[in-house]
Amino acid sequence: MMTAASPLLNGRCPTGPVADRWQKCKDELKLVSPNNKRKFEIIVVGTGLAGASAAASLSELGYNVKAFCFQDSPRRAHSIAAQGGINAAKNYQNDNDSVNRLFADTIKGGDFRSRESNVHRLAELSVNIIDQCVAQGVPFAREYGGLLSNRTFGGSLVSRTFYARGQTGQQLLLGAYSALMRQQHVGRLKVFPRREMLDVVVIDGVARGIVVRNLVTGQLETYAADAVLMCTGGYGTLYYLSTLAKGSNVTAAWRAYKRGALFANPCYTQIHPTCIPVHGEYQSKLTLMSESLRNDGRVWVPQKAGDTRSPDQIPDADRDYYLERRYPTYGNMVARDVASRAAKERCDAGFGVGAGGQSVYLDFSEAIRRDGEAAIRARYGNLFDMYQKITDENPYKNPMRIYPAVHYTMGGLWVDYHLQSTIPGLFVLGEANFSDHGANRLGASALMQGLADGYFIAPYTVSNHLATRKLEKVTTDHPEFERCLAETRSRTYKLLNINGKRTVDSFHRELGKLMWDYCGMSRSDKGLRSVIQKIRGLREEFWRNVRVPGSGNELNQNLEQAGRVADFLEFGELLALDALTRAESCGGHFREESQTKDNDTLRDDANFCHVAAWQYTADDRDPVRHIEPLEFNDVPLIQRSYK
Amino acid sequence: MSPTMSLTLKVWRQANPTSAGEFRTYKVHSISPDQSFLEMLDVLNEQLIINGEEPVAFDHDCREGICGMCSLMINGQAHGPERKTTTCQLHMRKFKDGDTIVIEPWRAKPFPVLRDLVVDRSAFDRIMTKGGYVTVNTGNAPDGNAILIPKENADKAFEAATCIGCGACVAACKNASAMLFVSAKVSQLALLPQGQPERTQRVQGMVAQMDSEGFGGCTNTNECEAACPVGISVENIARLNREYIRATVVGLT
Amino acid sequence: MSWVIKAFSSSIGKKLVMAITGLALCGFLAAHLGGNLLLYVGAEQYNHYAEALHSQKLLLPIAEVGLLLLFVMHLVTAVRTTLENRAARPIGYEMRQSKLPPGPFLKPASSVMYGTGIVVLLFLLLHLSDFKFELRNPAVESETPFAKAQILLRDPLTAIVYIIGSFALGYHVLHGVQSAFQTLGFNHPKYNSGVKTLSTLFALVVALGFSSFPLWAWAFHSK
Repeated sequence: MMTAASPLLNGRCPTGPVADRWQKCKDELKLVSPNNKRKFEIIVVGTGLAGASAAASLSELGYNVKAFCFQDSPRRAHSIAAQGGINAAKNYQNDNDSVNRLFADTIKGGDFRSRESNVHRLAELSVNIIDQCVAQGVPFAREYGGLLSNRTFGGSLVSRTFYARGQTGQQLLLGAYSALMRQQHVGRLKVFPRREMLDVVVIDGVARGIVVRNLVTGQLETYAADAVLMCTGGYGTLYYLSTLAKGSNVTAAWRAYKRGALFANPCYTQIHPTCIPVHGEYQSKLTLMSESLRNDGRVWVPQKAGDTRSPDQIPDADRDYYLERRYPTYGNMVARDVASRAAKERCDAGFGVGAGGQSVYLDFSEAIRRDGEAAIRARYGNLFDMYQKITDENPYKNPMRIYPAVHYTMGGLWVDYHLQSTIPGLFVLGEANFSDHGANRLGASALMQGLADGYFIAPYTVSNHLATRKLEKVTTDHPEFERCLAETRSRTYKLLNINGKRTVDSFHRELGKLMWDYCGMSRSDKGLRSVIQKIRGLREEFWRNVRVPGSGNELNQNLEQAGRVADFLEFGELLALDALTRAESCGGHFREESQTKDNDTLRDDANFCHVAAWQYTADDRDPVRHIEPLEFNDVPLIQRSYK
Repeated sequence: MSPTMSLTLKVWRQANPTSAGEFRTYKVHSISPDQSFLEMLDVLNEQLIINGEEPVAFDHDCREGICGMCSLMINGQAHGPERKTTTCQLHMRKFKDGDTIVIEPWRAKPFPVLRDLVVDRSAFDRIMTKGGYVTVNTGNAPDGNAILIPKENADKAFEAATCIGCGACVAACKNASAMLFVSAKVSQLALLPQGQPERTQRVQGMVAQMDSEGFGGCTNTNECEAACPVGISVENIARLNREYIRATVVGLT
Repeated sequence: MSWVIKAFSSSIGKKLVMAITGLALCGFLAAHLGGNLLLYVGAEQYNHYAEALHSQKLLLPIAEVGLLLLFVMHLVTAVRTTLENRAARPIGYEMRQSKLPPGPFLKPASSVMYGTGIVVLLFLLLHLSDFKFELRNPAVESETPFAKAQILLRDPLTAIVYIIGSFALGYHVLHGVQSAFQTLGFNHPKYNSGVKTLSTLFALVVALGFSSFPLWAWAFHSK
C-alpha cells in the first residue's frame, strides 16, 4: 500500500490556526478588476444549490455566465428534494453552539476522513448562508415572535438546523434560482436548459469548455469559457434504487475523470436510515423521509425474531428499541451511517418486520400521546401524507416501516482548498466534489456545503484563477473542441447501433442490484473482488446487447439514459475498486473485516488516514491510486462514539 | 400480494414540435396497484422497446412529488384523479382492472409539445426573470434575525412558495391561464418584508410577461386550485389582483 | 393617461373591467327589481314610480347612456377575453374532467358564463324591444305602465322566455358577484363564506324576483 502523499494532490490548504485559514486564503487570492470581469466567460454545469448559487454570484460580480442543466428548468435540480434542513452555527437557541462545535461535529460525523481546513471554513460560512437566504425571501420556519426557528438533527446535541417545514431544499433552491433568474434579466447570465454535459474540453492542460447534447434537438453543441464549474451532484443512481432523481448521473464527473480530473473516495456512499422500504420489482426509486422524524419517532423491532404480531399487539416489554439501547447518549439521533447499519444488522439477524422482514418500525405513538396528533401533524404532516400516499398505510395509527436507502455520495471529483480539480480551470462544487463530509455526511449539511461552495467560495477562488492564469482566447473552432465533439458523436453512434435485445433499464437494474448486494451497506474483500468481475461482464454485455431505439437527432430519453448507464458501468468498477483498496471501515464505508465487537466501524488510521484519489490511465488499464494524507490537529483523532 | 391489473392506454404520440400528433392505443398487463403511474409507463416503454417501437417520451425526474417535472393529463385531469398529488405520486391503486386511460400532454399555446407528452414550460422561467426575485447580491445580507417576520406571514409566504412550477394550473384551466403560478410567487414576496422594495415593479413585470407569453385570463373557476398538486390557494390570485391594483395606483408607469 | 389604458388592457385589467362593470350592472338590477316590485303594491304606486322615472328628462338619458356604456364595456371585454382565452389553447383535450368537488348543478356557473351571458343578452334585447321600443306590440304605447306590463307579460310564450332569461341572469350573477369580489382582491378566509352567501342570495333574488312578474301577469291577469 502506497501511503506517501502524491505530488498531484496539492490541497493548497493554508497553514496556521484552523480558524484563520480561510481569511488567510482570501487575503492571498488575486482579484480581477471590475472592467475586466466582463471579458471573462464562465460555464456552470448543473443548477442545484451549488450551481445556481455559484452562477448567480459570479454573474453578480460581473462575469458572463452560462448555466447548463439537463432538466427543463434550473428550478428542478434535485437539491429541491432535500427535506429536513440546513445547519448553521448561529447559536440562536442559546444552547452553547458555536462554529467550533459545528466544525467538530462535522469532522466527527465524517469519521475523520475530511480535511480540517475545509470543514472549518464550512462551519464559518454556515452563518452567512442563512442570512443570504433570508434576504432572498426564503420563508424559513419562524417562532411566534418572528424569530427564526431551529430543530435538532442527527449527530448533534444542539438545535442548529434551520428549516422550511419538510421542504427546505426546495425553498433554498428556489432562492438560488430566483437569483439566477434575476441575473438572466440583468443580461449577464444565460440559462441553457435541457442540455446534458458529455465532455469537458481541456486545452493546454486547462479546462476551456464543454460539449453538451441539446436534449430537444439531439444536436451536440460546444461552448468555450475561461473557467468551467461542475456542480453536477452525486452518483447515487448507480444503485438504480436510490432517493435521487431519475436523471441524476455520474456522466459529467466521469467525463472529467477521463480527461484528467482525479476521482476521490468513490466508495464513500451514504445510506439514509429513514426511507420507505422497497415494495416491488417494478419500483423505480426510493423515497426518503427527513431524518427529523427521528426527533419524535422511536425506532424498534420485536425482541423475538420472527414475531409476526401486528405492532400494536406487541407490548413495550417485547420491543427492542435498539438505537436507544446501544447508544444511550444520542439514542435515535445517532449519525446516519450508524442508524442505517443498525437497521440492517437487526434485519439480517431476523428481527426485521413487514413482508420479507426488510424493515424496522419508526413509531410515533408515544409522541402522539405526549404532544397530541395535531402537534405531530404540524411538524411532519407532509411526510406522513407522503408515507400514506406511497404505502396506503396510516402512520398516525400504525408505526411507519422504514429501511435504509442510498441517498448521498460523499466521494466525488478531488478538489483542492480552492475547489479546483486536478485540471486547472475546472472547479467542482457541491455533492460532485469530495471535500467536506469525509466518509459520512451529517444531516442538514449537504445544503450548507452546496451553498457555501456556490455563494461564498467559488466566487473568490474562480476570480483568483482568472486573475493569475494567462488565458489565451479560445473559441469553439479550436481543434480540441472538434476532437471532443467527434469522440462524443462516435460514442452516441455506437450506442444507437448495437441494436441488441436488452433495454437500458434492465442493465441499470442489474448493475444497481450488484452494487447494493456487494458494495452497499456492508462490503467484504471477497464480495468486492467478485463484483468487479461481474460488473466487467455486465459492461461487456451492455456494449454487445443493449437496445437503444430512435435516433440521435431528436428528443431521445432512452439515448440519454443509455449514455448515463454506460458510464455507471465503468464507474461502478472504480467504486468497488476503491472500496476494496480501503481495507478499513469508516463512516458509510463498512468493511466486514474491520469492525468492533459491537459491529461498529473500526477505522485503521495507521494505514488509511488519507484521501484516495484515482487517476484515469486508459480504458483497458487500471487507474492509479493517489494519496492525500489527512491530519487532525484541532479535533483529536479518536474512535467515533455515539454511545 | 394484491391482484394485478390489465389496462388500455390511449396515449398522445407526436414525433417533434412541428409534426402532427395522434392517439395510439396500447395494452399493459400485470400492473401492480402499488406501482406509481410513471412506473406503469416504464413498463409500457420496456414493452415498446422490446417490440421494436419507440418508447413514449414523458418528463419526470425526482419521482417524489417535489421537482415539478412530471405532468400528464390523465383521463382529462391534470396529474390524474387524486387531489394534491403529482403524477409520480399517483398510484395505480386509484385505477381498476380493465380501465381505459387517456394520457395527453399539457395543452396551452405557451406550452408547445416537444415530443409525445413532453412540453416546453420555459415560459414560466421567463415570467420569473421579470420579477420573481429579491434584488440582493450575495454578501449583502443583514443577520437573519434582524428583521422579525410574524409567523402568520412567514407561514403564508411559505405556503405560496411551495409552488413546484409544474404547470398543472395552466393545464387544468379552461383558459390556460397562468394566474395561480404567478400569484404564488407574487404572494410569497408580497408577504415578506424582503419583497417590499420591488413590490410594484414585480407584479407589473410578471403580469406583463405572463400576458405576452399568450396565457389566457383568469375567470375564477378555481379549477387551478383543485388541480394544484401542492394545494396553492386561489387566495393568492386575489392577492395578486390587489397587488396589481395597488401597483397601478401608486406605480410610476 | 396611457397608464390607465395599459393597466386595463392587461389580463388582470380586463378582469377588473368585468368586475367593476358587472357589479355596477348588479346595482342596476337591484334598483330595477326594486322598482318592479311595486307592481305587487298596486297599479297606482307602480304608475307613479314609472312616471316619476320618465319625467327625469336630464338624469334618465344620462343614466341610460351610462348603463349602455357599462353594458357595452362588459360585453366587449367578455367577447375579447373569451376569444383570447380560447386562443390560449389552440389544441383542446380529448378528455376533460373537473377536479373540483361536484356542485349542485350539472355545470358550475363559472364554467358557463359566456353561455349564460349570451342568453342574458338575447333576453335583454327582447326585453328592450318589448318595453322600451314596443316593437312586438306597438298597441301598448297608449296603456298605463302597469297595464303595459300586464299585457306584455301575460302571453304564455313571453312568460316562459322571460322566466328562462331571469334564471340565466341569476345563474350568471351567482358566479359574477363572488368572482367580482375575488377579482377586486377581496378574499379573506373570515369573509369568504359571507361573500358566497351574499352572491347566492342575490342570484336567488334576481332569478326568482324577475321571473315572478311574468308568472304573476300570466296567473292573475290573463284575459
